[in-house]
Amino acid sequence: MSLHPIIRLAGACAAAVLAGASPALAHTIVGDRLFPVTVTIDDPGVNDELALPTFATMTSANPDGSPGPISYNLGWGYGKTITADLGFSIGSQGYNWQKRPDAQGWSNIETQLKKVFYQNAAQEFIFAGAASYEWAHTGSPQSASLAPDPFSTITGKLFIGKGFGDASVDWLRPFAVTGEFDYSIPTATANSDGGLNPRTVAYGATLQYSLLYMNSHVQEVPDLFRRLIPAFEAVFTTPVSNIPPPDPSLFSPNTTTGVFGPSLYYIGNYFEVGVMAQIPVNSASGRNVGIAAIVDFFLDDIAPNSIGKPLFGPPQPRSGRY
Amino acid sequence: MKYFRTLVLAALACVFAAASASAHAFLDHAVPAVGATVSGSPGEIELVFTQDIVPAFSGAEILVAGGGAVPSAKAAASAGNPAALRLRLGQALKSGVYIVNWHVVSVDTHRSSGSYKFTVAP
Repeated sequence: MSLHPIIRLAGACAAAVLAGASPALAHTIVGDRLFPVTVTIDDPGVNDELALPTFATMTSANPDGSPGPISYNLGWGYGKTITADLGFSIGSQGYNWQKRPDAQGWSNIETQLKKVFYQNAAQEFIFAGAASYEWAHTGSPQSASLAPDPFSTITGKLFIGKGFGDASVDWLRPFAVTGEFDYSIPTATANSDGGLNPRTVAYGATLQYSLLYMNSHVQEVPDLFRRLIPAFEAVFTTPVSNIPPPDPSLFSPNTTTGVFGPSLYYIGNYFEVGVMAQIPVNSASGRNVGIAAIVDFFLDDIAPNSIGKPLFGPPQPRSGRY
Repeated sequence: MKYFRTLVLAALACVFAAASASAHAFLDHAVPAVGATVSGSPGEIELVFTQDIVPAFSGAEILVAGGGAVPSAKAAASAGNPAALRLRLGQALKSGVYIVNWHVVSVDTHRSSGSYKFTVAP
């Protein structure tokens, strides 16, 4: 039996917010800089890897201020390089379930083609773009208690990353920033019930302080901290057109939703683990601090001579000081 | 959930099955240490990486900050540690700031490079 549309919307909003702008995937190395896979946004490179699982939980608020559903999400993503600078990925926010009231369902599948347009190893700078497509009817059926979008969505994306290893001041050199900007267009302007599907922009950024970089290039740090990258992240989604008319029983359809908060990443030889405390920016985004986490396997390191290398051409030698 | 459990276990199995593979080599620690101040000239520089390296395709050099290269032997593998590189210095270092540039190829052919400074105190 389907949930009331308000509850479904609240749950869907929370699920979308807590999972970030898109299924996050790909770590990349530019010069001496490793940009980790981050929880809220995709990083600016392409690589061979498997994110399994991604996890997130968030408590929603109802428009009247009362606690809403507690949402959980287990997702996945797989990235494959076609060439050193062109990658294909497939993933999903996966399985969603919630309490208060109980509901569950599978998200749609999303595929993405991503191209690194420019990178400069010495400046630790990278710029990329992608087109992704969320395929309708690849998740649970609409009769599910937590059904996915009944329409497909095409999204254009831009990514940027910059490490500050070239700074003249040593304390700045472990810092790096990444950013993502998305513009999403539903393929159906309205659903069968007449509800409008708005176009949205999503935008997010991370500020990272790499102890991995600091240990190798600036100042040796204690063993326990050598592979850590603490960060601060934020991601927001704003409806921009085809916005439904206001409904007093719902949050304003013009509301920007988003989360921000601290995160921490451990970079192993073959995998990465990350966790983030997600603070909702308003009641439409959530009621309490949520948690998001990711386990990501570096297939380019695990299987460099088979599934971990590009389909065509050599891997990108991203270091720049030869 | 059973589906996810199976996938997670399969992924973990892949990781552990690939235990002999290698990865990008980052500098784990060095002697003298990254950013350290030492009293007296070291006789050699030792660089220890997070992964085993191929010495034939790896190297290092030491420079006076703002100056030229310090004479040294060719960087060589460290006996007993396939993840380490040693650079024997051709002369004692005077007090000052020095820069070590390194580049390595890990045993799976991934390249990485970097540099760091250390100081010899007067």
